Amino acid sequence: MRLPLWLRRRLPGYRPPPERWAHMELPYTGDDVVVVDCETSEFDKKKGQLLSLAAVVVSGRSIELSSALDLTVRSDAITHPDAVRVHYLRQEDRIHGVATADAIQQFLDFVGNRPICGFYIEYDRAILNRHIRELYGFELPNRFIEVSEIYVRQKRRYIPEVNLDLTFEGLARDLNVPVIDRHTALGDVVSTALMFIKLQRHSAS
Amino acid sequence: MSLQINLDQPPFSFLGEKELAWLKSRLDLVFFPAGEVILDVGQASPGIYILYKGVVEETGSDGQVFTQYGTEDMFDVRAVLESSCKHRFTAIEETLCYLLKAKDFIQLLNSSDDFSVYFRTDLGTQQSLVEQRGGEVSEFILAQVDSDTMRTPVYVTGQTTLVRTAGMMRDEKHDALLVRDGDRRGIVTGSDLLHAVLNDSLPKDTRVADVACFDLVTVEEGEYLFNALLKMTQHQIERVVVTRNQEIVGVLELMDMLSTFSTHSHIVAMRIEQARSLEDLIVAAGRLENLIANLSGQGVKVMAIMSLITTLNRRLIRKAFELLVPEKLNSQVCLLVLGSEGRGEQILKTDQDNAIIIRDDHVKDALMPSLQKLHQVLLDFGYPRCPGGVMFINDAWIHTAGDWRARVGKWLNNSSPEAMMNMAILMDAEPVAGNKELFDEVRSAWHQESLRSSIASSWFARPALQFETPLTLLGNIREDHGAIDIKKGGIFPLVHGVRALAFEHGLYETNTFDRIDRLSEQEVLSPDVAQGLKDSLVLFLRIRLRHQLEKAEKNPGLTQQLKVSELRSVDRSLLRHGLHRVKKFKQWLISHYHLENL
Repeated sequence: MRLPLWLRRRLPGYRPPPERWAHMELPYTGDDVVVVDCETSEFDKKKGQLLSLAAVVVSGRSIELSSALDLTVRSDAITHPDAVRVHYLRQEDRIHGVATADAIQQFLDFVGNRPICGFYIEYDRAILNRHIRELYGFELPNRFIEVSEIYVRQKRRYIPEVNLDLTFEGLARDLNVPVIDRHTALGDVVSTALMFIKLQRHSAS
Repeated sequence: MSLQINLDQPPFSFLGEKELAWLKSRLDLVFFPAGEVILDVGQASPGIYILYKGVVEETGSDGQVFTQYGTEDMFDVRAVLESSCKHRFTAIEETLCYLLKAKDFIQLLNSSDDFSVYFRTDLGTQQSLVEQRGGEVSEFILAQVDSDTMRTPVYVTGQTTLVRTAGMMRDEKHDALLVRDGDRRGIVTGSDLLHAVLNDSLPKDTRVADVACFDLVTVEEGEYLFNALLKMTQHQIERVVVTRNQEIVGVLELMDMLSTFSTHSHIVAMRIEQARSLEDLIVAAGRLENLIANLSGQGVKVMAIMSLITTLNRRLIRKAFELLVPEKLNSQVCLLVLGSEGRGEQILKTDQDNAIIIRDDHVKDALMPSLQKLHQVLLDFGYPRCPGGVMFINDAWIHTAGDWRARVGKWLNNSSPEAMMNMAILMDAEPVAGNKELFDEVRSAWHQESLRSSIASSWFARPALQFETPLTLLGNIREDHGAIDIKKGGIFPLVHGVRALAFEHGLYETNTFDRIDRLSEQEVLSPDVAQGLKDSLVLFLRIRLRHQLEKAEKNPGLTQQLKVSELRSVDRSLLRHGLHRVKKFKQWLISHYHLENL
């Protein structure tokens, strides 16, 4: 279902990554994935400014926390009161962060050509792509994996009509995954990574 | 992201702030589905696993299960230090572990001495490290006798007159002077002078050497202040002489210590000493429990608490005895404390275990009314009645010395379980009041070689095996409704096994630690085993005391049930270790006494 690289390159509007990240285009042959989560100033794909970004490599059953990327972005974006209530990142908390461009660079270096995985990853993808496009003129060529999609697919395989609680908490409960520091980027990443590992196991068996 | 496990406990609490922060940044998180083998025999471990959720089981190559690990437990240090794993570790539930990579762990070992000592040493050292870090430690308790705490000694020669001595005391503002008389060194205090002049009507120009005390009580420089305090309490004195390599270097005054001492143990001791009535004694007895909780809360070692409380308890009982038993009967009777009190291993009060030796049968009638009162006072002190009836108010536990000897002879020839148990109880006896010579007479009965046949010894040892060690076949701590009986499971088999060996080898010591030392000296126990047993017993006593104090029930000393889930994970793993030692000791007893066929 994912178009091959040669075909993607021929699509109108496709922009290849610059030299530094050219390798991101190459097909990935390993088994690792990178689980990603972003917190933004407001919950809007078009306007939300990146406030924090976390990414961790999942290799088999191991969540490589010790090498995780956990960045707070120094941004002057006005945080929407509703969003603050979700992630607790006030403007004051972000003073010690890194610049958006710096965060994006670190992220691109970190993720390479590995598949990117997340919970409601479309949102994170849109936010990241918007920033990458503005800064470096390309979009993430990586394969994306949606945790809730794997979940739904597996549930429906056994009981097609089942009513599913597709919230983050609902998945966590059903998969017996601890919710750690909810709405901090790294906490959500770890819980999502655990969901992914557990779902992998079921789809393999 | 915050860490989901508590690393504020040993061994991680031995790390400095910087190292701990670094450690936290080096952890990965790994998931194992139920049934998955995490580490296998012969495999190199990627690092140390610290359990966050789930249960892991450790098995040997023959499938025998050694132990289980729960939240905050860690494994397998040996696999990391020795580069290959000796056992298999399997997740028996879905398990989440933090993983500290081997190279990071090694780096931590190299950067922190306490941390590496913990992993490279035996149970005892691990335990003392844990004990040291347990709670707020009062500065006083850890303070040592040094130049800051002691006074420089002021000497007079033995020829000095009493008048001149008194003058020096006033000028130097010392209440005690050291006396140099030839090669002898003594001490003279203000009250010594007072007694000499006022009570004994000695002339003022008497040589001070005639009234000084040359039997000096000393502590070595560098000893804990606490030990000095114990000595003062034992000898009922207010100062001790400090020595360095047997040379006198100073005087340590009680008053100086008291001004910094916060636990009031000496105040309790003084209250006991100054008690004029039974009511006073009962008040003093009531403060002991508070004192124990205080000392324990301040992180004083369980051994030190034990010896302090033993001293105080015995003084308390002796004082009550002295207040109740008419002085003229004093030489006719001897009061024994038995059981844990006799061994000096009681901290919180258990039940009354005591006996009486009398010189002649006819003393008994004159004595009984006072003894009934004494029994009542002991109840008021907080010693509950002994359910087994081991109390001097029962005919079975009050005899003449001759009758006691005859009984011992009968017990040892009879070898029924009751006879053996009675022998075991009497063997731990310590005379606390009255005429101690009566006890020496009785004790010599079981020190006769002829009565201590190997058959009697092995019958004697047998009860050590009557309770199973609460380790399942699976090797983890076996809980009965979430609790284990620490007395039956750990303390009794150890204490009784050691008692049997003490019996067999005719030892005079009653304290289990002293017995173990002596057995080790006599090469009955190897030094390793001896140390292991002592460490295990201290551990059991410490964990039990902590647990009993937390329970705060009416008679906390009678609680033997430990809730395993309420233990800190480090205590749980030490406990497992200690119980394993007891199990091994029992196996050793079985082969030593040929008890295989029971």
